[in-house]
Amino acid sequence: MLEYILKRIGQTIFVLFIVSIFAFFLIRLAPGNPALLMVPDGSSDEVIRAMEEKLGLHDPLYVQYFRYISDILHGDLGQSTQYRVPVAKIVADRLPNTALLAVASVVVGLLISIPLGIVAGSHRGTGVDFFAMFVALLGQSFSPVWLSVFLMLVFANVLGLLPAMGMGSWKNLILPVATLAYPMAAQITRVARSGIIDTLSEDYITATYAKGISRFEVNWKYALKNALIPIVTLVGITIGSFLSGTVIVETVFGWSGIGQLMQQSVNVRDYAMVQSLILISASLIAIINMIVDIINSFIDPRMTLS
Amino acid sequence: MDKKIILNRMKHNPFFIIGATIIVLLLLICFLSPLYIQFDPTVSDLANKFQAPDLSAGLSSHILGTDNMGRDVFTRLVVGGRVSLTIAIIVVALQISIGVILGLFAGYFGGVIDIIVMRLCEIVLSIPQLILAIAIMAVMGPSLSNLVFAMVFGGWVHVCKVTRNNVLVLRKQEFVQASIVLGAKTPHIVLRQIFPNVLTQIFVVGSQRFGESILQEAALSFLQLGIQAPDPAWGNMISAGRTFMATYPWMVVAPGIALMLAVLSFNFLGDGLRDILDPKRKV
Amino acid sequence: MSKLKNEEKVHDVAQKEKKREPLVEVKDMVVEFKTERSIVHALNGVNLTIYRGESLGLVGEAGAGKTTTALGILNLMSEESARIVQGDITYDGKSVFKMSNHELLSMRGGKVSMIFQNPLTSLNPVFTVGEQIAMPLRKHMNMKRKEALKEASKLLEMVGIAGGRVTDYPHQFSGGMRQRVGIAAALACRPELLIADEPTTALDVTIQAQILELMKGLQEKYDTSLLMITHNLGIISELCQRVAVMYAGKIIEEGAVDEVFSRPAHPYTVGLLNSLPKLTGPRERLVAIPGHVADPQNLPSGCSFHPRCANCTERCKTETPDMLSITDHHSVACFNPMNQEYNNG
Repeated sequence: MLEYILKRIGQTIFVLFIVSIFAFFLIRLAPGNPALLMVPDGSSDEVIRAMEEKLGLHDPLYVQYFRYISDILHGDLGQSTQYRVPVAKIVADRLPNTALLAVASVVVGLLISIPLGIVAGSHRGTGVDFFAMFVALLGQSFSPVWLSVFLMLVFANVLGLLPAMGMGSWKNLILPVATLAYPMAAQITRVARSGIIDTLSEDYITATYAKGISRFEVNWKYALKNALIPIVTLVGITIGSFLSGTVIVETVFGWSGIGQLMQQSVNVRDYAMVQSLILISASLIAIINMIVDIINSFIDPRMTLS
Repeated sequence: MDKKIILNRMKHNPFFIIGATIIVLLLLICFLSPLYIQFDPTVSDLANKFQAPDLSAGLSSHILGTDNMGRDVFTRLVVGGRVSLTIAIIVVALQISIGVILGLFAGYFGGVIDIIVMRLCEIVLSIPQLILAIAIMAVMGPSLSNLVFAMVFGGWVHVCKVTRNNVLVLRKQEFVQASIVLGAKTPHIVLRQIFPNVLTQIFVVGSQRFGESILQEAALSFLQLGIQAPDPAWGNMISAGRTFMATYPWMVVAPGIALMLAVLSFNFLGDGLRDILDPKRKV
Repeated sequence: MSKLKNEEKVHDVAQKEKKREPLVEVKDMVVEFKTERSIVHALNGVNLTIYRGESLGLVGEAGAGKTTTALGILNLMSEESARIVQGDITYDGKSVFKMSNHELLSMRGGKVSMIFQNPLTSLNPVFTVGEQIAMPLRKHMNMKRKEALKEASKLLEMVGIAGGRVTDYPHQFSGGMRQRVGIAAALACRPELLIADEPTTALDVTIQAQILELMKGLQEKYDTSLLMITHNLGIISELCQRVAVMYAGKIIEEGAVDEVFSRPAHPYTVGLLNSLPKLTGPRERLVAIPGHVADPQNLPSGCSFHPRCANCTERCKTETPDMLSITDHHSVACFNPMNQEYNNG
């Protein structure tokens, strides 16, 4: 088990390394002087020269890269050209908001989808099953691009039940969370349902019944654990599109998180910010995936086999 | 698999039928648009802005109203649809080409090639697709070719993985082993034995990729990184219409529904195909 | 632990008094399965009795209906596809299909337990073997988790596995060892009836022998009734007192093992015995039973065996024979039974 954890950590470090290289090269991809991208428009020549020094543009690439990495490890993610303050500070301010949104969405999504999927799978062909499948099928095609706007239109503009934008109260959380949680919950419902269906058809479930275990216990204690495996795996996979979704959702609902920050930064060409945000989001996902895999290995001990 | 069985299953699979029907309708409406549209999608006509939907004169009237610049929403919808669908077709074709070739090599030859390809996939997958596309567009500029590049860059991986996994399973099966023992050469084995079996999976994953591509392009256009104004795209129509939707909702409702239908139908198609092409199913 | 031992002693005495009482009675069971294409006639009038304290062997080829019958005793036939057309199965006088849920759950695993055919698929991969053996203990003997795991550890020792391995997972054991775990779980609550569904078919011959020795020993120790389902006649002659031969969902011959194996009456039974290769004596061609096994989706009319039977007459094609007693301990369902002496060589 420990071996597996160490192996996963090692793999994650490798991925982080590659991501950092990608982020590093990002600003050097565009034609022209990279230093120009990292300073505010209209900066004096001195400022530009200072940036060139900082980036080490006259040094060999690998030196530039080491400088970049060492800066990051010291907490220096560069200076934002739109805000004129260190990137790290802004990110630190905004990250908790995105985290709140993400965690709330995942929790709400799982709380609804897992029981729904289990009930649907263990009661195939019933009304609940059809309802769950219908809702899930629709949800899979839902995109934050239009869902966010529709929800706002209906609940904020037409019905006036919820605030449209901002972050003031818990009410502001409802629409963004609904937008993010629904498509994810739809996928999880489907996976939970097929997970339970597959599990329930296994020999060992018949054997469990043969021991006198009740249907309720079989569904919710024994089969559930087996069905969790594909669910946990799926959560890991969808976290990526989750983060992508926050870019749209935060922009639409005026939520000051790193998603909105990303969108703004791209629009004003704040490359220092864009570069850092890529690094941060990819790193977050790599780490979350690692955690998900480790959780899965606790549920399914066979995963630790090489 | 037998063509007759496939056709028969197609006729009875509601997902496939609904999905395919909607897609065909969308394709027809959008690609035939130059033949019937009456308005110009990009020219502003401020005198006519914010007209409510008006069905009175058929296509000569603004059946879905006009937007904030006085442009006919329906025209922009179908023209934008044509653009989005074309981009999706190109992107998916490229994704499939790259993904299948790499997947075939990785799956069939295994070893170092497989390791390299799989690592490559892992790396690309480690960055969320949309964020990756945003980064590429931000740095390289919002041209059409950059858009296609950014979308293909992130998406070939799914096709590759599916192909590779399939090839791995097939390679170990006895009919391939038998071919090898009989002395068949590699290209023959790959082309004649393995590829046809992988083809069915490619159809399924292709449908999924189509839906994804439409969504991704919409998201990028929404963020003003894809199709640039004044050219219409469903994504940028929603984005532009957001500001006014409290009083003029059709600017966002129309493209939103179009997006939803398009993606839904591709997902239905993909689901239907998956059931239809499942070799283990007992009719 | 001593509480259990005392209970066992009382149990033993009472058991000996109760012998020759029917424990399970399968009466005229007709069961169909619905598949996408057709109807599978799995059981076509099965009559079977298992008495207390005895071992009954149930022989038949794959698809004959043996597992269906076994699952039927526990009322575990698939709800979705199985349809009971007629008949009943009683345990200790009570119909298993009419029992209350509570009675059913306490019967399963407690009074009647089952060992499954495929040890690689009959254990849940995400739970430890200890937990899986503890399941019936916690359910039927009201043990707390810790207590149950301790008892599970002892049960493992009893079947020849180190007790410390209660915390291991099924994938860490070989097929033979997993089957032993299955046996341990089945015997955990000292059941009155143990149903063993081809317990050694998926294992090597050498392991088979070990498992059978184990089962024999345990059965003698706890005086459990045994329903041994197998297509291996050798196992039956080792372990069982009575044998029932099943073909196409019906019992076609039944009786004391010695009698049935030395004087088989049904042509099918004769065929089965003849098809066993002889290890001594002159070398002969292997004799197979001509024709194909009856297809449960498309059963022949009259006696299901008639297309393959050397003794087939016109009557056999239209009428279905009932079970007739040949001796006190031997019955057969055939219009033209054999009367030969079968020499085992």
